[in-house]
Amino acid sequence: MSSLFTQFAATAASEHGSEEKADILTSLGIDWTLLAMQLIAFLILVWILGKFVYPVFLRIIDERQEKLDEAGKAAEQAQEKAEAAEEKIADSLKQARKEAADIVATAKAEATQMVEKAEAQAKTRSERIVAEAHEDIQKDVLAARKTLEKDTISLVKKAAGLAVAGIADEQLDTALIKQSVEGAKK
Amino acid sequence: MILTTFAASSEPHISLAAEEIFKLGPVSITNSIILGVIGVGVTVALLFYVANMLQNGKRNFVTGVVQWAFEGFYGQAEEIIGDKTTARRIFPLAITMFFVILVTYWLSVLPGVGTITVNGTPLFRALPADLNFTFALAIITVVASQVYAVRKHGFFGNVGRYLKNPIKDPIGAFEGILEFIGEFSRLVALSFRLFGNAFAGEVLLLLIALLTGYVAGLVLPFFMAFELFIGFIQAYVFFVLTLIFTSLALATHGDHSSSDHSPAVTATPAKQE
Repeated sequence: MSSLFTQFAATAASEHGSEEKADILTSLGIDWTLLAMQLIAFLILVWILGKFVYPVFLRIIDERQEKLDEAGKAAEQAQEKAEAAEEKIADSLKQARKEAADIVATAKAEATQMVEKAEAQAKTRSERIVAEAHEDIQKDVLAARKTLEKDTISLVKKAAGLAVAGIADEQLDTALIKQSVEGAKK
Repeated sequence: MILTTFAASSEPHISLAAEEIFKLGPVSITNSIILGVIGVGVTVALLFYVANMLQNGKRNFVTGVVQWAFEGFYGQAEEIIGDKTTARRIFPLAITMFFVILVTYWLSVLPGVGTITVNGTPLFRALPADLNFTFALAIITVVASQVYAVRKHGFFGNVGRYLKNPIKDPIGAFEGILEFIGEFSRLVALSFRLFGNAFAGEVLLLLIALLTGYVAGLVLPFFMAFELFIGFIQAYVFFVLTLIFTSLALATHGDHSSSDHSPAVTATPAKQE
C-alpha cells in the first residue's frame, strides 16, 4: 500500500530528475506537437459541427422563436380586437340606451298627446251633448209653453164663455183672449 | 502495433502526464488520445444523429435531452454575451467544448480506464486528464476572446485595454498591466482546473477500487456517479468561462468594474452592438 502512495511522488521526482533542463510545462506532460495537433483537431471539429450540426439546432430555435413572436403578435392583435369590440359594444349599448330613452320619451309624449286629445274630444263631445240636451230641453219647453198656451187659452175661453155667455160670439172671445195673453206676456 | 498485451493491472499506475502507447510517424499517440478519439467520435456521432433526427422531424428521448441542453445553453450564451450576433458566433466553440469535455470526462468512468494496460501502461486515460488537451482548449478560449475583442475594438483599441499612458492615467495603466497578466492567469486557471479535476477523479476511482478490495463493486458506483456530476460541472464551468471571457473582452473600458478579475463570480455582458 505504501508503494501506491509514494508512486505518484516518485514518478514526478523521476521525471524531474531525468529531465533537469525540461521546463515545468514539459514535466507536467505538455508535448507541444501533440498540443498543436489537438488544438487544430479541435478547431476542425468546431468547424464541422458548426457547419453541419449546429445550424439544424439553431434553425429549430429560430423557428420556435418566430412562432412565439407570431403567437405573441397574434395575442396582441386579438387583445386589441377584443378591446375594440368591447369599445364597440359599449358604444352600441350607449347608442341603444339613448335610442331606448328617446323612444320612451316619444312614447310618453305621444301618450300625453293622445290623452290630451282624448280628453279634448271627450270634453267637446260632452259639451255638444250638453248643448244638444239644452236645445232639446228648450224645444220641449217651447212646445210645452205652446201647449200650455193653447190649453190656457182654451181654458180661459171656456171660462170666459161661461162667464159672459151670450154677450159675444166665439170668434170675438178668441181674439180677446189672445190679446189678453199677449198683454200678459209683456 | 505496440498493443501486444492486455492485462488487468494488479497495482494502480499513476502518471501525471499522458503516456505514449505507440508512435504514428513522428507523433506519439498517448492513452488520452485513444480515449479522446473514442470520446470525440461518440460526441460527433451523437450530435449528427440528433441533428439528422431533428431535420427529419423525428423526436425521441435522446434528441429531446440534447435539444433541451442546446437550447438552454444557447439562452445562457445570449444572456452572458448580451449581443445576439456575437453570441451566435462564439456559441459553436463554447458548446463544442462543453459536449467534448462532458463526453470524454464521462468516458473516464467506464470500467477499464486505468486498469487495462499495455506493457504496464494504461491503455485509456480521460482526455481532460491530459494537460495538452486542456491547455489547447484554454489557448483557443483566450485567443478567441482576443479575436472578438480585436474585431470589436480594432487592433489598437484592444491593445489600448492593456497599455495606457501611466502619466495621464496611472491607475488605468496599472490596471492594464493587471489585465494583461490576467489573460495568462485565465489560460493557466482554465487548463489546470479541468486537468486537476479530471486527473484527481481518475486517481480517486483507482484508489477507491484498490482500498475497497472485494466490495469495490458496491462502493465504486457512488464515486462514479460523483465523477459524472463533477464531469458535468467542469464542462459547464468551461463553457460559461469561455463565454464570460469573451464577454469581458468585448466590454468597453467603462463597462466593467474592477471586480472583472473574478469573472467566474461577476461578469458584465457586452453592450448591444
